[in-house]
Amino acid sequence: MKTATTSKKTRSRRSLSKTDRFTLSAFVGIPTLLQILLLWVPAVVTIVLSFTYWNGIRLTDIRWAGIQNYKTIFLNEPLFYEALKNNGVWLAFFVLVATPLGILLAYQVDRGIKGHAFYESIFYLPVVLSLAVIGIIWNFMLQPGGFVQGLMGLDIGNAISIWGNPDINTWVILGVASWRHIGYIMLLYLSGLKSVDPALKEAAAIDGATEWQIFRKIILPTMKPVNIIIVVITLIESLRAFDLVYIIYGSPTIFPLLNLLVFQNFAGQGLSMKGAAYAVILLVLCIVPIITYLRIVFKEDLK
Amino acid sequence: MSENTNAVSRRSLLKGAAVGGLGLVAGSTIATSSADAATRLKGSTVRWTTRGGGATGDKIAKAVNDAFAKKTGAKVVAQQVNSDDFQNNFAQIMQGSPDDAFGWMAGYRSNHFGEMGLLADLTREIYRLKGTLPTSAIKGATSPVSKKPYILPTTYYPWALHYRKSMVKEIGMNPEKIDTWDDFIKLMTLTQKKGLVGYSLGAKGGWEAMGTFDILNARINGYKYHIDLLNGRAKWTDAKTKETFKYFAQLIPFMNENVLDISWDGMRDLLLQKKTGAMMMGSWFANDFKAKSQADYDDLWVVPFPEINPKWGIDSIDAPLDGISVAANGKNVAGGKALAQFWASPEGITEAIKAGDTNIYVSKSFDTSSYDSFNKQKLAVLGSAKNIMFFLDRDARGDFAGPVVGPAIQSFIKKPSDINKILESVQAQWDALPKN
Repeated sequence: MKTATTSKKTRSRRSLSKTDRFTLSAFVGIPTLLQILLLWVPAVVTIVLSFTYWNGIRLTDIRWAGIQNYKTIFLNEPLFYEALKNNGVWLAFFVLVATPLGILLAYQVDRGIKGHAFYESIFYLPVVLSLAVIGIIWNFMLQPGGFVQGLMGLDIGNAISIWGNPDINTWVILGVASWRHIGYIMLLYLSGLKSVDPALKEAAAIDGATEWQIFRKIILPTMKPVNIIIVVITLIESLRAFDLVYIIYGSPTIFPLLNLLVFQNFAGQGLSMKGAAYAVILLVLCIVPIITYLRIVFKEDLK
Repeated sequence: MSENTNAVSRRSLLKGAAVGGLGLVAGSTIATSSADAATRLKGSTVRWTTRGGGATGDKIAKAVNDAFAKKTGAKVVAQQVNSDDFQNNFAQIMQGSPDDAFGWMAGYRSNHFGEMGLLADLTREIYRLKGTLPTSAIKGATSPVSKKPYILPTTYYPWALHYRKSMVKEIGMNPEKIDTWDDFIKLMTLTQKKGLVGYSLGAKGGWEAMGTFDILNARINGYKYHIDLLNGRAKWTDAKTKETFKYFAQLIPFMNENVLDISWDGMRDLLLQKKTGAMMMGSWFANDFKAKSQADYDDLWVVPFPEINPKWGIDSIDAPLDGISVAANGKNVAGGKALAQFWASPEGITEAIKAGDTNIYVSKSFDTSSYDSFNKQKLAVLGSAKNIMFFLDRDARGDFAGPVVGPAIQSFIKKPSDINKILESVQAQWDALPKN
């Protein structure tokens, strides 16, 4: 078996013409080169810098810090743990509420319930807006002196504290983020559902399967490639959250997120390599679950 | 164009060598160089960045830059940038291809980048302006570390207690006499009794409330302790610092409920809409009162924050000093320096004020008799203090003020009873900063 595939490979490699080989190496080589140059080099530099003290200005000022930046973050920064909590809640909310809701909506729309075109466009609408724009819109609505507060008859002096109230702001922010995320997931899932052969569903229905059974046993497995994308997107969207909150607050301290802390410690006056350490922590948090998940999925495939 | 620039840099290099060799024959060298500068500048391009300010900012910049161009024959290309973006990306912009000159801030923000070699040394320009600048302004513009100025001081404004005269009258107090801590408390109490906010504060960005902390600390523990604290020579866990927060906590019951939801513009609106008794703020917002109506502007008043500890009286004030800096990596450093000097000179100031600038200038040679009563009062407030502070985020290092003190004050407002824990954390974070 093994030898057979090997010989097959060598044969096919030999059969490539000169032009083919050139085209192939260009197609593989150029993106790889760009990837290395624009992604891997900065990533490695960031990792190295996270072990130094440096204000980013003169190369001669770089000093070795060992693990001091990390020690400071883990031992002395209350914002780090708040950010970790916020990112964690964000992730949990997306995984347990927003993403399932998006899938449910996609399923309902695909089933062709009454007025599905209407729902589809309603839920899809926020997706065309960037999170930054969404931040501007909702900030305008909910801030003191904003539209909603005005409707409630509250002027700026007695406006309810929403963005600044730790009991409420998490849920409002997650609601706003989900407003877009649900539509996004719905769209992705819908495109997958369209490609599921309706004959499969019909056959199952004739065999007496319930709606839930059809969804679980037929749709979900056939949708595997889309499922992978959705899991990865949900993970990444929750961990890299930045723009929405940055637009609303303008600073990372009331509702800290890991990405905001990366930015705060890199930008302008606060420039320090603690920002690099935060970036590395975020990278690890993003990469580890994704790699683990993908490995499990692909291992199942190999079986 | 490029030949021209080369010629300039070669000549200034030669001149630098000559000065170094001869020692400083200051008077004559400077006289020739400024005459020489005019001929060198002719036909060269100088780039200027206006930091925010909208249409008024552009108008003022155009007036001053045009006058400079007319005088020297240089061409000035100006652009306006978003102030926050410029500030946040300052180090990157200065290392790229920055404009030659721009409005900037004195204190840590110019000293630090000057010492890093990103801002040009303006010793000669300060020397030329010496007759027009008060010593305090020169001292404020000079780095205590390198002893060099990296900014030419132009304007400043007080962070002080603002209120509306009509509202104070309405509660039966004399708006001209809010002098003592008791007056201040009475003002807040009576305003609050009317269902309004006694003392308005914003802390959404973290920096707005630093003004209140600065003045309380300076009033209670004195200027020296405050500056020592911000530079690590005193401890945040010290009983003296805790005392400051005790007074801060006394103000919280008078505050609006949404401190963490509003920023300086929210505070401004509270006062503009007659919803608040008093607030600590930088006087720059008065421009917006004027834009609303002359009546609102005439109603606005500013006084020094009242005395708390008689030992210090009202001897300190936050008065951030602004000015013009020159990028060390600009394409035309000599031109940038000349333009900066023009902006800070009586000639440039006159142009700026003619174009609608309502700032207070530090220049001695400017006639203040034309100031309106609010500006005169601002001067009086500034004059009442012996010690000038620049505001917490300019008096302390950048990786401490914004990332550590800002969130600490926010946490304190959220839960004042946690103050001991918060201050321990602030001290621990200071101790963990890399020290040179």
